[in-house]
Amino acid sequence: MKGNTNMGIILLAFLWLFPATQAMAAAGSQILYERDSIYHHITIRQEGMQRCMIFGRQRDLRQTCIDLEKPDASVFEYTAMMFAGFLFRPEAKSVCLIGLGGGYIPTVFRMHLPQVRLHSVEVDPLVEKLASEYFGFSIPAGQKLSIDDGRQFLKKSRERYDQIWLDAFNSDYIPSHMATKEFLMLTRSRLTDGGIVIQNLFCNNRLYDAQIATFRSVFAKVFVFEGQNSGSCIIVASDRPATDPAGLRKQAERLGGRIGRIDLFAEIVKCKASAAVKKAPVLTDDYNPANLLLMQKK
Amino acid sequence: MPIVYAVFILLLVSFGASVMSLEILSSNMMSPYFGGSIYIWGSIISSFMVHFSVGYVLGGWLSRKYPQIWVLASFLVVCSLWVLMIPVIYKPVCEYISEGIVDVRLGSLIAMNVIFLVPISIMAMVSPYIIGIIAAWQRQSGLSAGMILFISTVGSFAGTNATAFYLIGLFPVSRIIAGVGIICLAVSLIVLLLRIDRRIRIPGANDCA
Repeated sequence: MKGNTNMGIILLAFLWLFPATQAMAAAGSQILYERDSIYHHITIRQEGMQRCMIFGRQRDLRQTCIDLEKPDASVFEYTAMMFAGFLFRPEAKSVCLIGLGGGYIPTVFRMHLPQVRLHSVEVDPLVEKLASEYFGFSIPAGQKLSIDDGRQFLKKSRERYDQIWLDAFNSDYIPSHMATKEFLMLTRSRLTDGGIVIQNLFCNNRLYDAQIATFRSVFAKVFVFEGQNSGSCIIVASDRPATDPAGLRKQAERLGGRIGRIDLFAEIVKCKASAAVKKAPVLTDDYNPANLLLMQKK
Repeated sequence: MPIVYAVFILLLVSFGASVMSLEILSSNMMSPYFGGSIYIWGSIISSFMVHFSVGYVLGGWLSRKYPQIWVLASFLVVCSLWVLMIPVIYKPVCEYISEGIVDVRLGSLIAMNVIFLVPISIMAMVSPYIIGIIAAWQRQSGLSAGMILFISTVGSFAGTNATAFYLIGLFPVSRIIAGVGIICLAVSLIVLLLRIDRRIRIPGANDCA
């Protein structure tokens, strides 16, 4: 009995001295940073040449990853699909990105679409600092960054954008005030004529259906990219897009079939002219159970 | 005396639940106008704490001066009518304040106080008022001060969970607030109509009921 107690004490001491972070390091994964910001628990982990920023304590939650050798390679399917969404307004001169993460999207813009003026918006000041320190994020001439709530930023902004990208949603939480009809109407009012909105979301929950219904209540055209290797979907919405899904191939050819390392031909086949969704409520500022719907699987 | 205790428990549970239901709903009301940042929760929680403080002091003081349930119930009628107005006033109030004040911390703090100072302060009067009445009653009561706070907190627990986990998924925010207002008004009027003060003989107090 006493031996068991001693073993227990030794085991506890071992766990205390060698926390999970080091145990993971031994398995080839190295924790470079782990701390709480005012919004998230943020972990930066590196495995091989892949470095990820992870939000939340469950390490399979929202991630933003880069390949250190190929920082413009899309580690996740959703970012590649978002750049395929770019083809619905390919002559864009100004883009607003809400949700910075590790800064992968601005990096692709910086390296391969330098003619586009990108304005990134991130609510968490620590995310911007970590993106710069660990992910090579920088703000070149022609790009801007604002630390602000996305909806507040658009409300105050007097700019008009050719594209507005919404990438502020986690798999376990979304800022629900940026999922409503009123927010999308504000977003539409900040678009140039023929401008588009591109939003990243997960397609396996009831929020997806409600988001499609909400987009359809605001925009004349709503297209969806359905991920083939992940649970991610991308909504592209516009009142007057430059093309329809059938014309994406032609637009991709004009860009040489690629944006950096992203193979646009491989992504455009995932685009559906009409999303297959069940009847769902339109989300408004008054009726907004976004986070409850996010937890309800289809 | 069971009816007196039933009335006390009804007041404690219903207003304890209403306070927290409104606190949960206030984040949905504020975020479209002031954003979803940590500042909004700072404003919501600190505002409610101020309203609680006002209500505790006022409830304790009034219960000494007027240790009668009808006085508390009259305040609660006013509070309920204010809650019923919230669905109508909150959008223009938030719109006006957010247009005029750029700083979302100050803006949300002012909006929270304009909308909630009166009703939440009155709701927070319930527990200290009932404690004051029981103390003045000088009767061997089964309800200690601790038990009164416990019952109110159980109500708050129910109000928080019911709102956050179910009601927000079922109804628009404005209808939930209207429902809370109707329940508060019904409880206040029932308590007034029951004329409970006739059953509570307080030494030295006027029998106004």
